[in-house]
Amino acid sequence: MSDHRDDFLVLEDVKTHFDLGRDFLTRKSKGVVKAVDGISLTIKEGETLGLVGESGCGKSTLSRTIMQLIRPTSGKIWLEGKELSAISDRDIRDVRKNFQMIFQDPYASLNPRMTVLDTLSEAIRTRHPESKGDDLLQRVSDLLRKVGLNPAQMKRYPHEFSGGQRQRVAIARALAPEPKLIIADEPVSALDVSIQSQILNLLKRLKSEMGLTMIFISHDLSVVRYISDRIAVMYLGRITELGDAETIVDNPLHIYTKALTSAIPVPDPNAEHSRERVILQGDQPSPIDPPSGCNFWPRSPVEHDADMKENVPDFVEVSPGHWVSNCRFCVEQNAATPN
Amino acid sequence: MALLEVEDLATYFHTREGTVRAVDGVSFSIDRGETLGIVGESGSGKSVTCYSLMRLIPEPPGRIERGVARFDGQDLLKMGKSDLRNIRGDRISMIFQDPMTSLNPYLRISTQLIEAQTTHRDIDRKAALFKAIKALEEVGIPDASNRVKSYPHEFSGGMRQRVMIAMALINEPDLLIADEPTTALDVTVQAQILDIIKQRQERLGTAVILVTHDLGVVAGNCDKVNVMYAGQIVESGSAEQVFYEAKHAYTRSLQKTIPSLQEKGQELYTIPGLPPDLTKPINGCAFYPRCPFPKTGAAETGRPALKDLGNGHCFADCGYCDSSGSIESVLAKGDTDDIHLPSEGAGA
Repeated sequence: MSDHRDDFLVLEDVKTHFDLGRDFLTRKSKGVVKAVDGISLTIKEGETLGLVGESGCGKSTLSRTIMQLIRPTSGKIWLEGKELSAISDRDIRDVRKNFQMIFQDPYASLNPRMTVLDTLSEAIRTRHPESKGDDLLQRVSDLLRKVGLNPAQMKRYPHEFSGGQRQRVAIARALAPEPKLIIADEPVSALDVSIQSQILNLLKRLKSEMGLTMIFISHDLSVVRYISDRIAVMYLGRITELGDAETIVDNPLHIYTKALTSAIPVPDPNAEHSRERVILQGDQPSPIDPPSGCNFWPRSPVEHDADMKENVPDFVEVSPGHWVSNCRFCVEQNAATPN
Repeated sequence: MALLEVEDLATYFHTREGTVRAVDGVSFSIDRGETLGIVGESGSGKSVTCYSLMRLIPEPPGRIERGVARFDGQDLLKMGKSDLRNIRGDRISMIFQDPMTSLNPYLRISTQLIEAQTTHRDIDRKAALFKAIKALEEVGIPDASNRVKSYPHEFSGGMRQRVMIAMALINEPDLLIADEPTTALDVTVQAQILDIIKQRQERLGTAVILVTHDLGVVAGNCDKVNVMYAGQIVESGSAEQVFYEAKHAYTRSLQKTIPSLQEKGQELYTIPGLPPDLTKPINGCAFYPRCPFPKTGAAETGRPALKDLGNGHCFADCGYCDSSGSIESVLAKGDTDDIHLPSEGAGA
């Protein structure tokens, strides 16, 4: 693994657990939420990695762990060869300007009492502490223009903008410290379709113009497929399948990925009526004491045997760049034989 | 005769900022066993239409200004309070977007399911409980006889929405209004819920009005589709007509913006600008400022009326939408700038 550490962003067996503490009376442990439970990933510079999964699968915890907003319970994270998990809380703020986040709800993620100018200036000063006066104004205007807002609007407060415009402000703020990595956590799911496409185009354009690396988190596989180079499918804190965006959407191997792709409604009546669906049973189990072994077994349409309910399946590379959690019940075996 | 016929429904909200014409002259009908989809962006009036039918509009500031909604011969909009209460939850029921806020957190599921029955039927509690358990089983809740005693917070989002469906269908209504029933749920759970609604509908012959912003959900589940924009229906017809032979520029633009239908790598088509401010009167086609089709002197007074193409397919014809040119050809000509800044302010 060590040679991988030279890559842009490397995660090695990252685990983020939340201890629920002990019951007040019985002193029994209330359990541990295994939000992220052993994730290894490598992200190349300039790449967009899509992270999909149902709510509660740990996508957001993973992104916050990479941001070091939550420190991992175990495992290591390297950004450009620097081990983030070893940096102290005091020094992490200095490093954090290299990676920024865009959140889902632009109504909640902007300070309602700060004008756009204040919000952006604060973010710019993390990179350029000496910037003030005309230089600062110039930088703010440039940023606003970059995200498609009118610099004349910089004295406005967030409530004076529409949802799509607010998300543009949030993007501008994320870009202000000139980061190398952007983590976008469901940046379009709160927006209407017609606005959603504007923001997706903007993100894509900025990414190629500025050479950003991006982790794009969404539960909407069609959006993720559109914007990402590679897709990682998460289930209960682990990655079940990882590969090129097209491969994951068009030729998924794991039954969970199949269920996920087949559950996306397609805006085409004939295709909708004729296609086969993998309908899963029930909901995702609680990440408190998640199922052992192949963690998908309680919902899988295929009955698992005791072995697979007990032992975690290997994460194997079936074809170059296409990885899958190789449970022999969830993955058709002839398809998954490494060649 | 259609089960529900809505004619020229208009609901305005009289706010301090002015009169918001949330729904402004909507007409449609739905037959027994049919599924009608209403699609549109937020603020297009799709939910207000449904709330008006159930008379759930907060008055004031809202007011149903005009219109008729004939449900089995009776006008829902003129009905007295007690008649209305008899119909709600019995012959017409509704499922809301957020199943947490629409179940009473203080009452057990059993209490709520029994109450739904005893209000409308002469049924003893024991029989009602038995029916409640059966209803929960039918929507796929495992171990229903024990789970019926739980409180809403003990269920997950998908399970709660199942409980809502069970409750809405327990009196076998003629009409079910589902307002974004799956928007708050994961795609895998969404597929399950839509499946259940469809199954139950086939068994009971219920008519369903499915409100959603997701064209994909409409495509798979609806017989008829109304596309709403700025408080009016701009296009209606069978699902096939609306998806394959869309006439209105808004419908066509909307379809173009969906990522799943697009070639990867290509820039997504975007509808420039924002929906219009509904407090201001709209002259001509409401979509005009965002329309990709070039036009000169579109209708200046009043909004274009729905034009019937003869086969049940209607669209608001301003005279320019139906130009034979495809959106692609229009796009190829001019570089569509994806950023159109509203010149003055920005409606939230």
